[in-house]
Amino acid sequence: MAQSAWSRIKHSEAANGLALVSPTAIYAILLLAAPLLTIFAFSFFKDGYLTVIREVTLENYIAVWSDPIFRSILLRSLIVAGLVTLATVALAFPVAYFLSFKLRPERKSLWLFLITIPFWTSYLIRVFLWKVILGYNGVINSGLKSLGLIGDGRLIEDPIQMLNTVGAITVTLAHAYAPFAILPIFVALEKIDRSLLEAGQDLGESKAMTFLRVTLPLAMPGVVAAVLIVFIPTIGDYVTPELIGGGKLPMVANMIQAQLLPLDNKPMGSAIAISAMAVVALISLGFVAMNRRYLRGAK
Amino acid sequence: MIDVKPAPRNVIAAKVPLDQRKTMIEFQDVHKYYGDYHALRGITATIREGEFFSLLGPSGCGKTTLLRTIAGFEGISSGAVLIDGNSMENVPANKRPTNMVFQSYAIFPHLTVAQNVGFGLRRDPRSKAEKDKLVEESLEMVGLKGYGARAAHALSGGQRQRVALARALILKPKVLLLDEPLSALDKKIREQMQVELIKLQREVGITFVLVTHDQEEALVMSDRIAVMFEGEIAQLADPETLYRRPNSRRVADFIGVMNFLPARVLGEGNGHIQLDVPGLGPLDVTEEQASAAPNGGEAAVGFRPETLTLLYDGQTPLDREAPGTIDEVVYYGDMTYYDVKLDGVEKPVRISMRNVFGRPVLDVGTRTRVAWSPGALVLFR
Repeated sequence: MAQSAWSRIKHSEAANGLALVSPTAIYAILLLAAPLLTIFAFSFFKDGYLTVIREVTLENYIAVWSDPIFRSILLRSLIVAGLVTLATVALAFPVAYFLSFKLRPERKSLWLFLITIPFWTSYLIRVFLWKVILGYNGVINSGLKSLGLIGDGRLIEDPIQMLNTVGAITVTLAHAYAPFAILPIFVALEKIDRSLLEAGQDLGESKAMTFLRVTLPLAMPGVVAAVLIVFIPTIGDYVTPELIGGGKLPMVANMIQAQLLPLDNKPMGSAIAISAMAVVALISLGFVAMNRRYLRGAK
Repeated sequence: MIDVKPAPRNVIAAKVPLDQRKTMIEFQDVHKYYGDYHALRGITATIREGEFFSLLGPSGCGKTTLLRTIAGFEGISSGAVLIDGNSMENVPANKRPTNMVFQSYAIFPHLTVAQNVGFGLRRDPRSKAEKDKLVEESLEMVGLKGYGARAAHALSGGQRQRVALARALILKPKVLLLDEPLSALDKKIREQMQVELIKLQREVGITFVLVTHDQEEALVMSDRIAVMFEGEIAQLADPETLYRRPNSRRVADFIGVMNFLPARVLGEGNGHIQLDVPGLGPLDVTEEQASAAPNGGEAAVGFRPETLTLLYDGQTPLDREAPGTIDEVVYYGDMTYYDVKLDGVEKPVRISMRNVFGRPVLDVGTRTRVAWSPGALVLFR
């Protein structure tokens, strides 16, 4: 008996695979690819009053890139994301190193579990808490006040202005993304054959030089992954500049929001979004190319 | 009695006998504890310059720990380790005149073959061109000429091992340490590498210390072997002595195959010991044939499978013979192993016979005669 065409399709490997990914695929197409394409299309259209005029033009991009405000906001976003990435990765590396090299194997899972505890609190609440800590009458300032360090003629005249600064935004974002940076570096360090470190010393290098010549290069794929994981979401962060920056230090996401909603200039907002995406993509590609160089050597 | 004399193996050995050469490594009552676990229990031994020395034993006997105390990766709890007359106390691994070939080879995966081999030359004052030449020569020495630019991770197991060797030998260490270097290779390549290592050691004249659990490997390669059990050296001797005159039943059992038959001591005197062995009858051995280590009160004689011969019809033994029945036959192509029950003995003895042309392989159940010689026996008491 010949099988029916339908049952043959039903039992084929490809159909099985498609059935497995289809819920996610539908979700991704409807909620990611379609909006993205819409934004991409909008960025080439003209703005009309409460409507979008479907007339292809490059005007939006010309306006975006010749706008000094956009350029300074993009630069601020890059600086904040760069600082956050630098701080996060620089602080995450020692933690990952400790986890991988200094802990007995049976202790590692407990420590990894402890590192995920910040995730038990929502991102938004953590941002709010930083507002409480850094505020004019916040934890730090009132603490200093109760120590008698703030006041006329004292060490500090007025409470320290911490909110609404790039520093505050950086600290908040770095705190939020720290676990994301620890994990990829930890995985890369775990993969390093420990006899390689002994070999480094056996061949006459001190522990510090062995770290520089063996451990660090072999950990680079994890470091690059951590950089991407932190850099990409922070450059587009909306909540922290809004709450910690008090709206006075907008980053690129805040600018996009302003164009799309309050100003109702959808083509302009779309052009800013696409421009920012292009910049992020370019920087990420640079990192990926760097990673390639290290991955080439690995097993 | 068979004359036991170690065969000189390397060049220095041929010129200067082992015991007249200077001491390269000295262990003085070395103890090592891991918490409560006593890993090394009073190791005292000397390794001579230019010697191919093996540490042989089952896993967990402390042989790798002992090797790592030479390299400086493992501290010791008491005693002393001296290299070339200098105490290694508080000398870190990177300052010791030793280099190691690791069991996993520990080839740096992010570097090329040439960068791996030249890793230890960073602080060498010579020019880059001279170093490059040195690397190329080292690669040539291990048979990897022209492999320098290759990525290290693209090499086969045997090639990795050669890179590890070149990387260690390029630094001209006083001692080369090898931690089970051949265990990851398949049989053919392993045997080939054994011969190459012997040749290489002869060529460079460096003291080699090899850790292995493979008794055949140790016998093939070493000038002397230290057999270790539970953190102690059970016997330290040249391969031939170790094989023919093991000093305890345990060493005898670990090195090759040995048959044991219970024996009764009838008397001794004038350097001879009279025994009665069921299956073989009354016999006489010299005192040199008796092992030093006690065998728990019960005496036994041991003999290697190849010291026994099955006699075919019409053959007469060189020395003595005993009747028996073939209990099991294992055919190996070049060899046949027979398990023979000697008359009056329950436990069969193993006999190995070369399958020379024209000699038939016998069947199970065949009545046979076994030729043996009292001179080939070892007595354990």
